[in-house]
Amino acid sequence: MQSAISKINPDLLKTVIASGSVSQAPKNNPPFASRNSLSVPSTPKSDQNYLPALPVYSPVFRPVSAETTPITIFYNGTVSVFDVSPEQIESIMKLALDGSTKTVEPADSKLAIPPNEEQQLLETLNGDLPLARRKSLHRFLEKRKERLTSVSPYPPQIRYAVSDQEKITEELFRA
Amino acid sequence: MEDGNERKVSREMLDMADRGMSDEVLNCVMPYIHDSKDRDAVSLVCRRWYELDALTRKHITIALCYTTTPGRLRGRFPHLESLKLKGKPRAAMFNLIMEDWGGYVTPWVKEISNYFDCLKSLHFRRMIVKDSDLELLAQARGRVLLVLKLDKCSGFSTDGLLHVGRSCRNLRTLFLEESQIVDKDGEWLHELALNNTVLETLNFYMTELAQVRFEDLELIARNCRSLISMKISDFEILDLVGFFRAATALEEFAGGSFSEQSDKYTAVSFPPKLCRLGLNYMGKNEMPIVFPFASLLKKLDLLYCLLDTEDHCLLIQKCPNLEFLEARDVMGDRGLEVLAQSCKKLRRLRIERGADEQEMEDEEGVVSQRGLMALARGCLEIEYVAIYVSDITNAALECIGAHSKKLCDFRLVLLEREERITDLPLDNGVRALLRGCQLRRFALYLRSGGLTDVGLSYIGQYSPNVRWMLLGYVGESDAGLLAFSRGCPSLQKLEMRGCCFSERALAVAAMQLTSLRYLWVQGYRASETGRDLLVMARPFWNIELIPPRGVTINAPDREPVSIEHPAHILAYYSLAGPRTDFPSTVTPLDPASFLTL
Repeated sequence: MQSAISKINPDLLKTVIASGSVSQAPKNNPPFASRNSLSVPSTPKSDQNYLPALPVYSPVFRPVSAETTPITIFYNGTVSVFDVSPEQIESIMKLALDGSTKTVEPADSKLAIPPNEEQQLLETLNGDLPLARRKSLHRFLEKRKERLTSVSPYPPQIRYAVSDQEKITEELFRA
Repeated sequence: MEDGNERKVSREMLDMADRGMSDEVLNCVMPYIHDSKDRDAVSLVCRRWYELDALTRKHITIALCYTTTPGRLRGRFPHLESLKLKGKPRAAMFNLIMEDWGGYVTPWVKEISNYFDCLKSLHFRRMIVKDSDLELLAQARGRVLLVLKLDKCSGFSTDGLLHVGRSCRNLRTLFLEESQIVDKDGEWLHELALNNTVLETLNFYMTELAQVRFEDLELIARNCRSLISMKISDFEILDLVGFFRAATALEEFAGGSFSEQSDKYTAVSFPPKLCRLGLNYMGKNEMPIVFPFASLLKKLDLLYCLLDTEDHCLLIQKCPNLEFLEARDVMGDRGLEVLAQSCKKLRRLRIERGADEQEMEDEEGVVSQRGLMALARGCLEIEYVAIYVSDITNAALECIGAHSKKLCDFRLVLLEREERITDLPLDNGVRALLRGCQLRRFALYLRSGGLTDVGLSYIGQYSPNVRWMLLGYVGESDAGLLAFSRGCPSLQKLEMRGCCFSERALAVAAMQLTSLRYLWVQGYRASETGRDLLVMARPFWNIELIPPRGVTINAPDREPVSIEHPAHILAYYSLAGPRTDFPSTVTPLDPASFLTL
């Protein structure tokens, strides 16, 4: 996600976000930051102080209304949080993915986000907490992936979702 | 052996106390009272009973190490023989708590090394242990230590274990499961092998210790004739043939690894009394080596195996004496049906979440109401169920409530895989489950729409004995939480995630739950300043805020992904005042600071 966003034209990104959140933001705020966002902008902004001066930390997790949810963007050395609508998040994600395939050789598959991870990212950006996985299981599943993808002259031991035809062939050879 | 009559503080005993029962008599009776709740009650009777309990109490579990101090523990229980301490919140097991959150054993080890002459058994869980702590412990208590458990701990290396191996020659149990240990060499195991002849349990399962030598394992098996349980890290099974041959008393084994595509595994012969087993990376081809003794198996761990649904069915069918099964949900509803048919003695079942990517697990590998109902009807001895399901119905929960009369610990997590769940909300099912079963522990992790406010109030109403609860994505509004918190009279520890509740409601709920001594919440409707939490400010109640943090997930072949974890609230009763060892990221909530605004 990080690398994909960095490939987008910055002005285009700001436009997309601005069009999404301008309806929520009060008039006296900059167009692409809502009242409760914690933004650390790279260019000096107005003298508005977003961070309340309290000894107690102010949580970023905000009320999830029907229209807007928070999105955190790490971009070019800055961290920004905006309130945008789900449709706008879809646009941003699409933009990021489109941007990454346009500006990079199609052969470079490293930047493509596999569909299920995109799903997970979207879920996170929507403000939902993804189900956390137990450390031990997470490690096992990662190790298993490595075993499957490691170079080996022998066919992999594990057979998943094989067709019936393949199963029958297997049986014949084993007998 | 405890007699049921002696567990209760009877009227006769109270009468005798009034008439001045001698300390000698009390001294004879006290040692038979083991249960911690009973001991707690005994200590409240009068000053004399308090003192006698303090002198004779053998074991203490401190559920959160910051609730008291080493000095206070020593002051009250100077002759303690066994201590269990827990540090980080349970969420640490799911990577939700930063490594340096706290839970250092150092002050406790210092106290133990200077006092606690009778201490023989130590269990640290989710705590930070340093090599220097282990060195001090080995030096001070090495000769008498019988049990050392570093359970899901971190911060130490094999150098620290070297001290243990050298000096703790009387160790019966060394337990390191799931600890994060810096692996410098395998010398610690070599020292343990050379110096110990009484080891009964050795466990470094789910650690990344890769430099242990099979020769040392064999030496331990030969020298320690009482070796009953061995659980190790990834280690080629073919290299353990000698170990298995030598460990003739072995009843439990887990770990190892199958890596060679070979039929050499048929030559592996397991010890005759082996009845608790977990073989990592075991696949379809290797599975038959278990068949000869499958009927002896009481415990089977398939969490880290490479079997598909069909394989699970085949194996489980051969284990009629199974009492404890752990598996991933690749086992499927069909696996549960086979389990229900074949394993009538089953007491504990844990079904964990497998991989999310479809191609990584069997397409049959989903668990739903179908499997749950089969389980409830077939396994009537079941006491503990922890299960990840892809689909659920009220009927399934009602079925459990109707059949699972011995169930006392039930944990259900609804996965995010399916967009549409057959039967939500689960209000009626949850009510039937709670009314039918005498639960002590309960976890329900759903999604938006999974349980209404009415359903949440049912939990409050029908959980008279529940002491621990984890609730995820339940309820609709603050009203539900407030209704819930008017019930649950025994609830001591509450964990919540993904709530729609406001800070204020959380604080009010904490005040209303009469037995609550520990609260953890992640994902809630925060106020701008956090001051609504002050509603629950009171003496001895520590409130801590863990701010949100960006977590970078590194995976092979991909760009790192940054995800933000929302804030946590942690609140607990403590006799020790606020912590003094916070990392920079954790903030204590100080009510006084709000007065300056």
